[in-house]
Amino acid sequence: MTSSNKPPTLEEFRARAALTGLNLTEEDIGHLHKGYVGLVSLMERIPERWAWAAEPPHVFRADE
Amino acid sequence: MTDLTTLSIAEAGRLMASGELTSTALTEAFLARIAAVDHKIASYITVTADLALTATRQADMEMKGGLRRGPLHGIPIALKDIYETAGVKTTGHSHLKVDYVPAIDAASVRRLKEAGAIILGKLGTHEFANGAMTPDQPFPPVLNPWNPKYQPGGSSSGSGAAVAAALCMGAMGSDTGGSIRNPAGYCAAAGIKPTYGLVSRCGIFPLAFSLDTAGPLAWTTEDCALILGALAGYDPNDQASARTAIVDYGAAARRPIKGMRIALARDWYEGPDGELSPDMAKAMEDAVRVFRDLGAVVEEVAFPDVRDYHICGRVIITAEAHAIHRRDVIERPEKFGYTTRRRFQLGAFISAEQYISALRFRRKLHQDTHEAMRGYDLVMTANHWGAPEIFEEPQQIFHFLGKPSLTMPFNVTGQPAATVCCGFGADGLPLAFQLAGRAFDEASVFAAGAAYERATPWRQRRPAL
Repeated sequence: MTSSNKPPTLEEFRARAALTGLNLTEEDIGHLHKGYVGLVSLMERIPERWAWAAEPPHVFRADE
Repeated sequence: MTDLTTLSIAEAGRLMASGELTSTALTEAFLARIAAVDHKIASYITVTADLALTATRQADMEMKGGLRRGPLHGIPIALKDIYETAGVKTTGHSHLKVDYVPAIDAASVRRLKEAGAIILGKLGTHEFANGAMTPDQPFPPVLNPWNPKYQPGGSSSGSGAAVAAALCMGAMGSDTGGSIRNPAGYCAAAGIKPTYGLVSRCGIFPLAFSLDTAGPLAWTTEDCALILGALAGYDPNDQASARTAIVDYGAAARRPIKGMRIALARDWYEGPDGELSPDMAKAMEDAVRVFRDLGAVVEEVAFPDVRDYHICGRVIITAEAHAIHRRDVIERPEKFGYTTRRRFQLGAFISAEQYISALRFRRKLHQDTHEAMRGYDLVMTANHWGAPEIFEEPQQIFHFLGKPSLTMPFNVTGQPAATVCCGFGADGLPLAFQLAGRAFDEASVFAAGAAYERATPWRQRRPAL
């Protein structure tokens, strides 16, 4: 997992929210923080290091 | 003649071809049933009765004159309300588009019309194919025709409910993480998410460009095959559109499956994150036995962990959906339902690194799945964990925090995946499994799904409304 995947505290998340351009209520921020922390926790499963050959295609093809 | 609204597309086509049935009679039967019972489940947002009747007269005139456009000629179909329709409102089940009237049809709608299909109207959906049914949206929630206390599944909720309730012969849905297969499964319909790139998405409201697919729901797998036959094909206006060979899916659905090799992904539904309901677990065992009796070889195979597909797909959807809806969630957030709005806002917090990692992970999962399928024609797994959610219970804003999605693997890999009803639980609610094929091998999926349906009694039961 990369450093950006570290779960933020509610305060850290609120500071990030202020930079997103979104107009958020406190209730929104509470829900979004819970959702983001849950997402980041699940993202532990995504490998951290990738070979250059792992570059994703610009248009996905299911048969390639 | 039996009730016209419970005929299959294949049966109705044969009757029209022999002159025993007209498209006008068939369409009038559906319009009458919609008027009589749809208020109980709210599957339709818009019914285009006048346009449908005009189209039926044209279809009947053509067939009387000897012109037969194909198996959909004169067949009443309905559309999820994210498909753009010329001169007919396309709302996305959202206040944001409540008065939006497109000038032209989506490419797939055009194909359906060219095949002679009759468009009955537009169906309820989770808002922009991603939100939930919440009370702050402009239309009532679609209810499950088997028990209106339960959700019908989404996001193609109206499509699943209308097909099961015999309010159309087929319906178009869309599937980015399971949105055709969830309502198909919870409503006892058949449905297929085609291979990514097989059906044009041009003119359909997008959710996540790199995962979105468009496909049909119908009462039988064979009927899904007949509809897909009209939809498949290259479209230069969709960047993901693939140039593929034309396949007679209807013929494929009548193919025997003796010797077919099916990889059972049992680990996905008996993994660390939960188990199926007892009814669903038994239905899966019974379905495996049916396939073996039909001559197929079913073997358990180890695939990547279902949670890997789940998070991979969820990160991609969250990031891409935010990019698509960003302007509206900034400028008009109050126009979204409260669940949809937050799901679209969440993508603002995903970094480019996280998104690209998910795309890389997708490629790895795609390759690993392909490798695990070596020597097999199909993958079989459960469609859903058990009964759908009850309306009165509070819904999670972020549904990915619950059990992993059993449908997401085939969105991540892009493979075709169909939902097939395999019975009913003690609570009367439908049970279903999925069959997934290799990329662009919808034919094998249809062959196995249709063979299973012919061998079991589940297509005989309809919800009482």
